[in-house]
Amino acid sequence: MSATATLSRPAIGLRKITMSWKSTLLTSALLVLFLWIIVFLLVTPNFSTIATVFWQDGAFTTTAFERVFTSPRAVSALRNSFILAPILSVTVGFVGVTLVLITDYFKIRGAKVLRAGYMTTLLYQGIILVSGYRFLYGQNGFITNFLTSIFPGLDPNWFEGFWAVLFVMTFAATGTHLIFLRNALRSVDYQTIEAAKNMGASPFTILRKVVLPVLTPSMMAVTILTFLGGLSAIAAPLLVGGRDFRTINPTILSFSAMPGSRDLAALLALMLGLATFVLINVLSWLERRGHYLSVSKVKSSMVKQKIKSPVVSFFVHVYAYLLFLVYAAPVVLIILFSFMDSGSIARGELNFSAMSLDNYLRVFTQPSGYRPLLISLGYAFIAATTVAVLMILVCRFIMKHKNRFGRFIEYAFMIPWLLPNVLIALGLITTFNEPQWFMANQALTGTMAIMIVGYVIISIPFTLRMTKAAFFSVDDKLEEAAKNLGAKSFYAFVKVVLPTILPAVMAIFALNFNLLLTEFDMSIFLFHPLAMPLGVQIQNLSLEGLGDGTAMTFVYAVIMMAVSAVVLYVAYGRQGAKEDA
Amino acid sequence: MIKLDNLEVRFDDFHALKGIDLEVKEGEFFTLLGPSGCGKTTTLRAITGFVEPSSGTISVAGKDITHLAVEKRNIGLVFQNYALFPMMSVYDNIAFGLKVRKVAPAEIKRRVEEIAGKVDLSEEQLVKKVNQLSGGQQQRVAIARALVTSPPIICLDEPLSNLDAKLRVQLRNELKDLQRKFGITTIYVTHDQEEALTLSDRIAVFNKGNIEQIGRPEEIYNQSANEFVANFIGDINKLDAAFLRRAGIETDQQCYIRLERVYVNQLKPHHVDFGKATVADVEYYGLYIKYTLDADGSTFKVIEKASGVDIYQVGQEVEVSFDPNNIMKY
Repeated sequence: MSATATLSRPAIGLRKITMSWKSTLLTSALLVLFLWIIVFLLVTPNFSTIATVFWQDGAFTTTAFERVFTSPRAVSALRNSFILAPILSVTVGFVGVTLVLITDYFKIRGAKVLRAGYMTTLLYQGIILVSGYRFLYGQNGFITNFLTSIFPGLDPNWFEGFWAVLFVMTFAATGTHLIFLRNALRSVDYQTIEAAKNMGASPFTILRKVVLPVLTPSMMAVTILTFLGGLSAIAAPLLVGGRDFRTINPTILSFSAMPGSRDLAALLALMLGLATFVLINVLSWLERRGHYLSVSKVKSSMVKQKIKSPVVSFFVHVYAYLLFLVYAAPVVLIILFSFMDSGSIARGELNFSAMSLDNYLRVFTQPSGYRPLLISLGYAFIAATTVAVLMILVCRFIMKHKNRFGRFIEYAFMIPWLLPNVLIALGLITTFNEPQWFMANQALTGTMAIMIVGYVIISIPFTLRMTKAAFFSVDDKLEEAAKNLGAKSFYAFVKVVLPTILPAVMAIFALNFNLLLTEFDMSIFLFHPLAMPLGVQIQNLSLEGLGDGTAMTFVYAVIMMAVSAVVLYVAYGRQGAKEDA
Repeated sequence: MIKLDNLEVRFDDFHALKGIDLEVKEGEFFTLLGPSGCGKTTTLRAITGFVEPSSGTISVAGKDITHLAVEKRNIGLVFQNYALFPMMSVYDNIAFGLKVRKVAPAEIKRRVEEIAGKVDLSEEQLVKKVNQLSGGQQQRVAIARALVTSPPIICLDEPLSNLDAKLRVQLRNELKDLQRKFGITTIYVTHDQEEALTLSDRIAVFNKGNIEQIGRPEEIYNQSANEFVANFIGDINKLDAAFLRRAGIETDQQCYIRLERVYVNQLKPHHVDFGKATVADVEYYGLYIKYTLDADGSTFKVIEKASGVDIYQVGQEVEVSFDPNNIMKY
């Protein structure tokens, strides 16, 4: 029996030897906690949503379907979402792939600067990004003013509706490409490119036949994620969609606010859930199909390709720098405008003589300024900590119970991955609208607790996957060594396993914290009116029009960019720097 | 010192150990040798407590430890990849077992420094992280960590298998020296027959969950108990009917002879004169030369020291002889 074979089989004996009554008790307590979370927080709320659709006045009904398909708003929302999602997949795919080729495949002058510009959407996302674009491209926005000075006939409200949503979301969603597709491109074995060259292939043939096929699985995955993003769009349609372009999520939001239309909201959420479920399964199937792995004994790293044709090279450079402007301009302008007075902001004028720290002082000294920040910091910290601790426990349990039951626990905790945030939010609202015995007879809807619960739930799938990966990277033999030296299971875990996974857990915590700080999609449904998180606050300020509120939003945006920069550096930066070196 | 009595281990329907009996004496260097999947690592893991036997007993100094928890056994273990804690310094790695036992800090310091001295780890090395050490130094840390709690037995699970050939030989010698210095009962798992032969006082050869033979290295090599052991240990010629007929040996048994026991152009009085054979292939290894010879369709191999002898060429005819006492029959 080899060591490998021993490990691959369940070590039935090991558990029998080491399980004391204390560890049995601890395992049982954990199990009760996990099952409670699964049944009452992950499953029951979603069943409540389904019940809202199919069960009214104590009887089974399908009237919600009739109402949805006869409601012009609902039909329009469905149509808009299903138009936006595929078109967005194409535009994001095109821009995303070309970005990665510019930064990592072709020899382009100033590639590092370009990459920094393209990566700005990783620093500010969601509601902050959309509100930033709205301020700059909207009525009296800096860019609109600039454009109307060139084209006087331009409608000041030109940046509204489908095209505005598509524009904003296209540039907002390419961050995924820059992470996943770039990794895939870097995994291309350069020897395969050299082999193709050696056999006489042209640069275009090499790109088409050798490089792009390696990227295809990653491209498919990011395309599905983009499609899902398009379907469940909320911030962009709310802020720049205007009256005529409402998608599913904003419509759910409106319906859920009207007690008589909750079933419509629930049915739309279910439809979104079904689409998400199907697409996530397609994604999993693609993942299972695997990637093209290099079979080279010694892999060589990518060498950037020179574009030989001067004409092509010129146009590629022009395209690259135009994209750079699109990406970098909002960031630079947001930072500059964050120092301007409200008058300059309202007029969309860069007035350098009016620059001051007043906006920052107001945010940091006035309760109305710092309160949303503190509230979001609190929510994000509590939720990110809770989910981190919970997933460490879950992963420990899964790693110790590599059997059907362990797999059940793992899959059950992945439920939120299959569901859109809006469905989860609606489920929580409907379930916890009234006191529940399993929540110690408390009604959570409208409380701050439900925000934490919601944030934890939506953070579970990512945290579980990443924490499990961290656990996998710990050599089993380290814990065995600790036990062999006399350490009990818990001591070995605390002293050996935990310190090993801690850097990864901290990075996961930081990423969750960063995302939750400006979370909007779920917050807009669950927020407590007296404890409004930053995302909702920014949306409100954005809809107020240009002025003092805008100045504060810019300050929030700059703060969030700084926080994101630190978090991304902590999570990826050091590793990336090492890889670059 | 340690006794395994009819030890069986099953993993679902897989029978990993099929009733192992063996006894390791105090201070002995005992090796569990065999190919992958033969049960040697399972035996070691059963001894250290990571695998619970389905039946049978394990006892140390007369005390039954079959069902004793891993952490209570006090059997030192050096892992294949050493399993040193990467987040701790060398000192903390070695001190880990003592801290778990709540030994007083001053005593921990004394014992860590004492064991570090014995395995030639300097004070500067003690404060380093383990990844700052060479492979040899890491092995010494792993041994020091396993020995600092004064276990009666130390187990080593293929500790040299991940190293390059030169370092493996160097560390093998260091390991033997340390074992002699500490005089500790040692159970060593390996699939490398050369390692087993050079290090061990005794060897147990495993195959498919059974022990095929237990004996001193020279017994295992020269008096292999069966065909499996004969084939697994060292290079050997299986003699075919044509060879035996020409050598005048009549038997129904399978016959084997070690490569170095077949002589080329060195006929001695007690040798059987096999006659002429043609060199079919020559493999030059520096220290020795391996010839593949062909005689009337019977192919066999011969090994010769490379120093001071002519190297025969392919197609050249040579005189072959052997001592009939060296033929192993099964």
